[in-house]
Formats: sequence, structure tokens, C-alpha cells
Amino acid sequence: MTMPKNIYKALEGIVGPENISDDPAVLDSYRYSLAHTAIHLGPFFDTFTPRGSAVLLPGSTEEVQAIVKLCNKYRIKFKASSTFWSAQGYPSEDNTIQLDMRRMDQILEIDEKNMFAVIEPGVIGATLQAEAMKVGLNTHIPGAGCSCSTLAGATSYFGSGPSNLYGGWHYDNLLGVEWVMPTGEILRTGSLGAGCGWFCGEGPGPSMKGVARGFIGSKGAMGVYTKCAIKLFAWPGPTTLPVEGIVPAYKTSLPDNFKAYTVAFPSWKSWADAVYTIWDTGVGYIAHRQYSMFGRDLKFAMIKILTDPTKTLGDLEEILDDPEVQKITEESKRDFQIVLAGMTKRDIEWQDKALDEILSRTGGWKVEAMNEPEINKWMLLYLIRLGHKNLNLVFGGSYDGCFGLLGSADFGTSHVEEAAEFKKRWEKRGAVVEAGGDCMMGPIGGQGGGGTCLWENFTCFDPYDRDSIEGTLEFFDACTELGLERGWGVGMEKWNSQARGPDGRIAPKEERDRIHLSAPQPDIFRYQHKIRKAFNPNDLGDAYYETLDDS
Amino acid sequence: MALEDFAAEMDRCSQCSYCKWIPFDHIKSWRYAKNCPSVSYNNFNSYSARGRYAVARSLLKGQSGYSDKVRDIVYKCMTCGSCDVSCKVCRFNLEPLDMVRELKFKLVEEGHVLDEHQTIVESLDKEHNTMLQPKTGRGEWAEGLDVPRLFSKEAEIVFHAGCRFSYDRDLWNSVRSAVTILKNAGMDVGIMGEREMCCGGRIYSMGYRNEFVRFAESNIKAWAKAGVRMVVTSCADGYHAFKRLYPRLGFQVQVMHVVELLNHLINEGRLVLRSEIPMSVTYHDPCHLGRQGEPYVPWDGVEKKIKSQIIVYEPKRPRYNGAWGIYDQPREILKKIPGLQLLEMERAREYSWCCGAGGGVREAYPEFSMWTAAERIAEAKATGAEALVTACSWCERNFMDAIIAQRDAMKVYDIVELVQEAI
Repeated sequence: MTMPKNIYKALEGIVGPENISDDPAVLDSYRYSLAHTAIHLGPFFDTFTPRGSAVLLPGSTEEVQAIVKLCNKYRIKFKASSTFWSAQGYPSEDNTIQLDMRRMDQILEIDEKNMFAVIEPGVIGATLQAEAMKVGLNTHIPGAGCSCSTLAGATSYFGSGPSNLYGGWHYDNLLGVEWVMPTGEILRTGSLGAGCGWFCGEGPGPSMKGVARGFIGSKGAMGVYTKCAIKLFAWPGPTTLPVEGIVPAYKTSLPDNFKAYTVAFPSWKSWADAVYTIWDTGVGYIAHRQYSMFGRDLKFAMIKILTDPTKTLGDLEEILDDPEVQKITEESKRDFQIVLAGMTKRDIEWQDKALDEILSRTGGWKVEAMNEPEINKWMLLYLIRLGHKNLNLVFGGSYDGCFGLLGSADFGTSHVEEAAEFKKRWEKRGAVVEAGGDCMMGPIGGQGGGGTCLWENFTCFDPYDRDSIEGTLEFFDACTELGLERGWGVGMEKWNSQARGPDGRIAPKEERDRIHLSAPQPDIFRYQHKIRKAFNPNDLGDAYYETLDDS
Repeated sequence: MALEDFAAEMDRCSQCSYCKWIPFDHIKSWRYAKNCPSVSYNNFNSYSARGRYAVARSLLKGQSGYSDKVRDIVYKCMTCGSCDVSCKVCRFNLEPLDMVRELKFKLVEEGHVLDEHQTIVESLDKEHNTMLQPKTGRGEWAEGLDVPRLFSKEAEIVFHAGCRFSYDRDLWNSVRSAVTILKNAGMDVGIMGEREMCCGGRIYSMGYRNEFVRFAESNIKAWAKAGVRMVVTSCADGYHAFKRLYPRLGFQVQVMHVVELLNHLINEGRLVLRSEIPMSVTYHDPCHLGRQGEPYVPWDGVEKKIKSQIIVYEPKRPRYNGAWGIYDQPREILKKIPGLQLLEMERAREYSWCCGAGGGVREAYPEFSMWTAAERIAEAKATGAEALVTACSWCERNFMDAIIAQRDAMKVYDIVELVQEAI
């Protein structure tokens, strides 16, 4: 259905004719393919998120507020997105207005002394990091990579990634927020609301940050966040990353106070022990089980390809035949990557020694092949900038994580082999890439530890191949079944299925209710329903803010 | 190829938006992080490579038609290829630049053309140049030079001036210098004069594939008749056409851009740069010489899968990702000029920002084209350099026009002019 002319005109009056379109081709460029799984949902062959009724590019908070007020007046649904990483940023219902926030892309302030930045939605991890480094600071880049909006990760979604260890998750890092609420009112959270600046995320009374964000964020379903302040942390490196090498094998040489290692362990028990000790000792700057996303069998061969600009995926089989590669692959079966950053010479020396001691106590080792200079410098740059994140999609164009073992280090490591073996059996059926079963990727958590080891078992497939997609979906169903049977809970392959159905639209209420009622604490969703009713009385957001209305 | 041949890529594009930024590893500031002039200026997703994949799919599936907006989306792409480089940081099985070109071909074949482009194509048919000038004037730039004109005389090397250099009097010094330097270095070089024809590269990037082929075949035939063994050009567009596109039609003659040859002559000691030029400069990599200047590698193969779902090609497909373009030679030349200081812009080499002149954008969307050039000039000025140096007539002209429009004082040079001055 096309938007009534008077409403279109009114919206055009807000943003200007050059910043609104209802041309079908433009609208179709704002639809997400559910063949890509849309992050833990599908995949569903040849299915797209619904076409919006218009796309708007607001340029200021005032424009956003005017749009939201107009939407309330005419009861029009709206969905804001900044960098469109997944289906959650796109409409899930027909006749929704899509707000593309890319014009609001300013870094408004970097407060060097108080270590935070004030940013608009269009600021991505890479640009914020580049600017922060100029003043000796760094930003946490969530797992989606540096192409993604920092504000979106901080206000509206998970915000977890490799630098959790030192930089903290974004639910911790979020300070003041400027929030155009679903009614069009503007709320400034924390110290900002008291006129005291951006430095604190909480203000008087119950946590508005909690309402706006909580643990996982409202995923664009509860108004629009137009500015936020985000905590930065120390960067003891150069003001600009010195990058060398030929595309795509870029690498960096940093001073001696930086070290990057791939460490591996004889058992998962020792792996977990090492992680706990790392948390206890406080060593490390970035820690992630990164390259296992390619699969236990393929990871080192892929690293060989990615660090040599003359190589392509076409060389993979030949590289895999190399006995030396096979040896290293076996050696790094239970691994993770860690970057140490010393604030002083003594600090890096101590961290290096501490890591050696941790390895010695747990029986772990440094994978020497990953210390080869060309690989090591590539790994260092990769982990600091997280600019190659879409290697997730390198094989066939699509991936999704299954299982999603979120918990302590012991939790993930206790189940990884079983989950890997299960996947390996399914890999043999041909629908997904044969990668060795264990494709568990994720951060090893934050300093202090506890409950923050999140792994997803990467599953790569071809979004243009119906058999591949249907086979993957079948596998994901089997993962869910196994996860429930084994008490691991519903895997991340289904995390969003309560919100969005296989046709790309919102799941029917009965289905959502069924899922929420089967959750350990359905009351949570009843409370959220009350919050939503209070904050979003005209119901202009989508089901990603999850509610249960069974009264 | 046809647009339908890219249907798989349309689905396999992961919608990640890497195509909107320079490779992230190279980002040094907020200000110069973007790579695609089209989406940077027009903002809607549809103006990026990922958006154009979606637009193409929508057209193929009949979900949208050929509206004015679609023409705007498609033709407001300079085909500069920066999206292609950024995409391929992580992908081995997508060709966004080829897809966008195919989208342009499709629109032209279906008759959804722009008047501004059509005027050029019609003139090209008649006058064999893209400058809307009479063909009789094509050799005037070389008047007074002692250089043989093919076919009446023979030469081992043909120097192809290109449309812009041939008719833009402000730029004549560069091509006149090029020919003079080559001759003085003992090269057996000739020109086609008024018989020279457009390479076809400009209209190819506007979407006129068939017209391009006609011009390519004519040039190939003419050079064969003249018996030349090497084509040298100062035009980056021409270089790309001869080096990358002509071989698909069976062309086998050696092709060199003048910067390659000059650097070679300097390295061999046949050209000595003695005169000091006390100036700081920054070098702009032309898209067609840099990321699109990689040599053609023949390939005729098919897609296959290994490890069940990893997409590869049989035989191995050549990878064009900008890694092997012409970047070092111009920099080596500039570093050898006494007194000259070379300062790099934040976006350089394969992730260089486009000048704004390509893909028919300069002709059809002058405001957008000038904005793009102005962005680059701002970046050049940020280095502190006094002058912007390039190796492409189209870049040079666009920069000069933008500087005039801004009433700026920055100087623009073709690299050959500086070489001539330094001899």
C-alpha cells in the first residue's frame, strides 16, 4: 500500500524532498534477505523483510522528533536503523516507515579527560576508534565489527565483542542517551537529564537506561536514540594505526608494548582454567576465539589464504593437503587469540610473563605458526580494528550461529565437543560447509569474568541454493531440539523467531505468546508489556521489544 | 554476460555495507573514511553497491520498473570500483563493479538512457570523440612536434592521446611533453593524429557496451594495419580500456601507461631528472590506472563447490581487487624529482577517492561530479601539499574545474608536466 499523499507531503516537509523516497526500487534496497538468516532467525529461501512505505533520512533530533510525532498522529509504524547489520533493523510489518539514520553521523565530542565520546547513530566503530586513538583512547568494537553503528550496539543490541575483556560490554559502556521516545517526547537519561553532561548513564530514580536498553536492547522497537555517550578506554599505541601490505592481507606493526598470540590447550578443561586465570590476573586487552569461525579443520588454511594476496578460496584444498598445515590445524584445535597491551614497558613484560605462567600451569602453548611475522601482524590488526568481520560470510555468502553457549567458561567448554560432533554429522549431509564441526566463535569475556563467555557455532551456507538453505534450516531445528533436550536452552539460531516469522513479517501473537509462556520467567514479558504500554501507547514499534499480554 | 548472470550474487551479497567505506584497516579519521561518492552524496542505500544489487534484483523480478529514480540510481555511479575493493577484503565470490556495469548495460539496451549520454554517443558515432568536437581537429595538439603520423609513416609505438587530451587545450602541454620525452629518450613513437579514435572506455562506463566494442575493434584493426608493437597512453581511461577490456576481444599488443614507461626509462638511466622543483605535492591515483589498472587474465570457467558449500571456480578465477594496479611507478617518479616532496592523502592507492569524472557522471550530473572533486581537493589540501598531481586527463580537468568553482589556489599537474620540468 502506498502512503497517503498528505502524509508523504508532511514527512517531506520535515526532512526535505531529497531525504525521502517511496520509489519501489529505493524501498527494495531497504529489505533484508532472510536467506541470510537475518541473525538467528531463518534462513528462509527467497524471502525478504517487508517493503516499507517510505524511507526517510533525518538529519537532526528535531527532525526525528517531528517524524515520530507525525507517526503518532497518523498511527504509522516506524523503524530506525543506522548501519543495517541484520533483519532487526528493518520493518517487520507492512506500511512501516524506515528511518535511515546515516545522515546523523557526527562524533560530537571526545572527552579525553573523562574518557568518553558523544556520538550520533551513523558513527561506526572504525571511525570512532580512529578518532579516539588520536588522543590515546580506544572504543570497544562489538562482534558485528567496526562497520556497525556504535550507538546501535550500545543502545539497541548486544554490544559484545573481542574487547569485552578490557573495554567492557556496551551495556556497561553506555552513558547518557538522548532518546526520542515512541511518543515523540525527548528523554535524556542519566546525568544528561539533570543538565550535568554525558558522563553517567544513570540518574535519579529507577534506571531509565535499563528501560531503554537492559541487557540486550530494544532493537529499534522503542523509539529512536539520537545521541549517546560511550565510555572509551586507554589506547597505549600510536595515534594512527600504521597499516602495510596488499589488499586484503593488511597488517600492522605496533610498538613492543603490544603482543598478539594464539594460544591452545590440551583439553577444554585447561582452556577454561586459563580463561579464569586470565580474568583473575587482569592480563589482556582483547581476547576472542576468532578464527575458529572458519571451522576447526579450515582455520589455519584460511589464515594462509587471507595473509597472502595471491591466494583465493580456490587454493583451499591444496593448502589443506599440506602436512604442515594439518599439523598446525591439529595443534590449534582448542585455541583462542589474545592481545596484550602494556601501558608501560614493565606492564607488558609482566603481562607476557603472567600469560606464560598461565600457559605453563594449564599445559597450554602458543601456536608458533601464528607468531610468524606476516601472520602475527595481520592478526594484530584484525583483532584491534575488527575490520574483516564479514569473513563470516566468505564461503558462500551466508552464515548463522547455532547453539550460542552463553555462560561461564566451564559451560561452553563442557558442551563444545558434543555440539561440534553433532554439527559435524550434519555437515556430512551437504547443506552446510564441512568445516570440522567446531566453529565456535566468540569472546572469552570481561575482566572479572563470570557469565560472559558467548560462543556461537558458525554455520556457513549458500543463500542462493535452496537445498543449502532448507538443509540449514533443518539443521537449526535439530540444534534447537538438541539444546532443549540437553538443557542448554533454545540456541541462538532461534533467538528472534518469536519476533519475526518465516515470511519476514512479525510472528503471530499466538506464536509469540506461546514462546514467552514457555520461558523460565514469563512475568518478565508481562512487565515489559506494561512498560511498552506506558512508553509506547500507540504501539508503533515492532515485536523485538518482547511482551506478553495474556491478561 | 547479462544482468541475469548476476542473480546469484544479488542473493549472495551479504548486505554488510563494507562497500560504503574504505577498507576499515586504513581508516585514519572520521572525515576521510568513506569511499563511495555515490552513496556519500545521495545517502539512500540504493546508491551503494549493496543497494544496486537490491535494485537490480527488484528490476529482474519485476518488483519495480524503470523509473526516473532508477535511472538516477544507476547512472549516478562513477564505476570507480572503490566498492569492489572494499567488498573483496572479505569476499572472493562477488563482483560488484561488474554487476553495476551490467546494470548500466541493461538500462541502455532497454532504452532507458540519459540525454546527456546520448548526445555524446551520437557525436562519437560521427566524430569519433567524446568531446563533441570535429574529428578533423583531433591531431592539432601535436602540431609543430616532429612525430610521425601513422599510417603514412611507421613507428614501433603508437602514442594514444585520448579524447580529453586531444581537445582540451589546457592539457596539451602534458601530451606534447610526453611525446617529446619519449622521442628524446630514443623511443620509436608515432601518433595517429586525426585518425586517432576514442578508446570507447568512457561510453563503456556509461553503459554503451555495443558501441564500445565497435570502437575497440576499429582501434585494434587500425593498430594492426599500422604494425605497432606497443600502445602508450597518457589517458588512464584509455589505459584501462586497452589493458583490461580490449584483450577480451583478442587484442594482444603490449600496453603501457606513460608513467610505466617513464619510470622504466628513468630506472634505465635513459631519462635523468636534474632540475629541482621545490614543491610539496600529493598524488591522486586515477581509478582506471590504480584499482582498475590490473592486467587482464583470460578465464573461461564455471562455478563449483568444495567442502559442500564453499563457492570456488574451475579453473581458478583471476581475482581483480585492486591489489596489482599502477601505484608505485608514479610515486617512484615523483620521489626522483629533486626538491619535490610527496605527501600522501589518507585515501590512496586501491582505496583512493574518485575524482568524480567517471561513468558519465561529469556529463550528466555536473553538480555531483564537482562535489566529488571538491571532496578530494579538501583531502589533498589537508596533507599540506601545494599541488595535486595525477596521471589522468579526466581527473585533472575535473579537479581544475572544481578548484576554479571554489576559487581555490591549489595547483593541479599531470605527472608528465613535472617530469618535463625536471629534465
